[in-house]
Amino acid sequence: MKLELGFIEIKDIQFSNESKVENGTLFINADAVKEFVYQDDDVKACVKSVSFDIAKPGESVRITPVKDVIEPRVKVEGPGGEFPGVIAKVDTVGSGKTHVLRGMAIVTAGPIVGFQEGIIDMTGPGADYTPFSKLNNLVMVCQPVEGVHQHEYEHAVRIAGLRAATFVGELGRNVTPDESKTYETLGIREGLEKYPNLPRVGYVHMLQSQGLLHDTYVYGVDAKRTLTTIIYPTETMDGAIISGNCVSACDKNTTYHHQNNPVVADLFEQHGKTLNYVCNIITNENVYLADKQRSSDWSAKLCRLLDLDGVIVSQEGFGNPDTDLIMNTKKIEQVGVKTTIITDEYAGQDGKSQSLADADPLADAVVTGGNANMPIVLPKLDKVIGTLDYVDKIAGGHAGSLRPDGSIEAELQVITGATNEMGFNRLSAR
Amino acid sequence: MCTVTPISMTVGANRIVPTIAIPHPLGNPALTPEEEYALRKKLVSRALEALTTEVKDQTIFEV
Repeated sequence: MKLELGFIEIKDIQFSNESKVENGTLFINADAVKEFVYQDDDVKACVKSVSFDIAKPGESVRITPVKDVIEPRVKVEGPGGEFPGVIAKVDTVGSGKTHVLRGMAIVTAGPIVGFQEGIIDMTGPGADYTPFSKLNNLVMVCQPVEGVHQHEYEHAVRIAGLRAATFVGELGRNVTPDESKTYETLGIREGLEKYPNLPRVGYVHMLQSQGLLHDTYVYGVDAKRTLTTIIYPTETMDGAIISGNCVSACDKNTTYHHQNNPVVADLFEQHGKTLNYVCNIITNENVYLADKQRSSDWSAKLCRLLDLDGVIVSQEGFGNPDTDLIMNTKKIEQVGVKTTIITDEYAGQDGKSQSLADADPLADAVVTGGNANMPIVLPKLDKVIGTLDYVDKIAGGHAGSLRPDGSIEAELQVITGATNEMGFNRLSAR
Repeated sequence: MCTVTPISMTVGANRIVPTIAIPHPLGNPALTPEEEYALRKKLVSRALEALTTEVKDQTIFEV
């Protein structure tokens, strides 16, 4: 399966009467986006209002409570469309050609669970900890209709964000990309014949699926109702996996992370040179022990069946998913396949506590995304998009986090993407 | 009593009784109230039995 990504660099976003991409600037008519977003019945039923704002790198702007971050893309050649099974009809994506509006994102904000959304600062020390401070963000603040259930509202905001991304992505359909890159995954036999001497490497991609608004969707299917399976890496570049997560901000994989998975990017970079990148294995993180056992058994079975020499395992979230991580790692090692895991740490504010809830001697190659408990102070910024009402309650915050002078004292956990377990951010340790 | 018994093993618990799920260790919303009561009674009885059983190593008392 072969996919060409055409990157259109977006250096600025401006509100305008006409929506278009021209010379690296996205001109956007907010009313037109709103109209497109509201064509969905669930959005109509659950979202009272959507207001748009623009946040650019370096501006004194704080966005909170952040739900999801999404990169606008459009399928220009080949089957299917972006976000299959959710926005586009179900059809296998990951081949043909896709245009990417790089350098920007749609950010959805609004109080869904309140304590499980995050903060994006566009300047100051907070900006250093989130990759999204480097993007031009079109922010949608969504307010719920009174009396709507949390899960209905989450669904509606998820759809609203994806629809806005679809609208904006479409504007890049006829724009000539600034750069193009092609990614190809070979069939099993083809790969063996072409790279007989290279180690066969896979990627075990763990998806948050604890339920109660901790959910990830694959082609529209709730991941907690899936068995571990195989997916082409390029499918994820077309939005086959999307986030429906309201979990700790620092280590949830937003839809943007799934679209731009750095493990996928790096494995493709080495494909045919130092290794043969075979495929991705997606597995869930459920709350029943039997599910954890079944899913991790399946991960190990597929690794063995595919005759992999090694895998990278990435986690999402923390706490009981640490067990899924360790079960996967242990079982995969036991079938003779080497593992390296990517996780993050909850090692206390001094970093001296045990980092993970579970451990095993076979998990002996670990990359950390940083310590989510690290205390941080974020200065007051001039403008807030959204509301500061939840800062004291956000996971990583505490009563008094929002100080009288408008600054915030909290743990790193509050910042969206700070300790990402795909290794998307820059924190780590030796 | 715990759902994720591998963590119980890692932290060194002596007597471990596996339960239903992390959000509802001693219940199951899929059951009727009567069925759920019976389930809970079975789990608690097993836990009491475990407490009164001598163990030499970490032991999981399957339900």
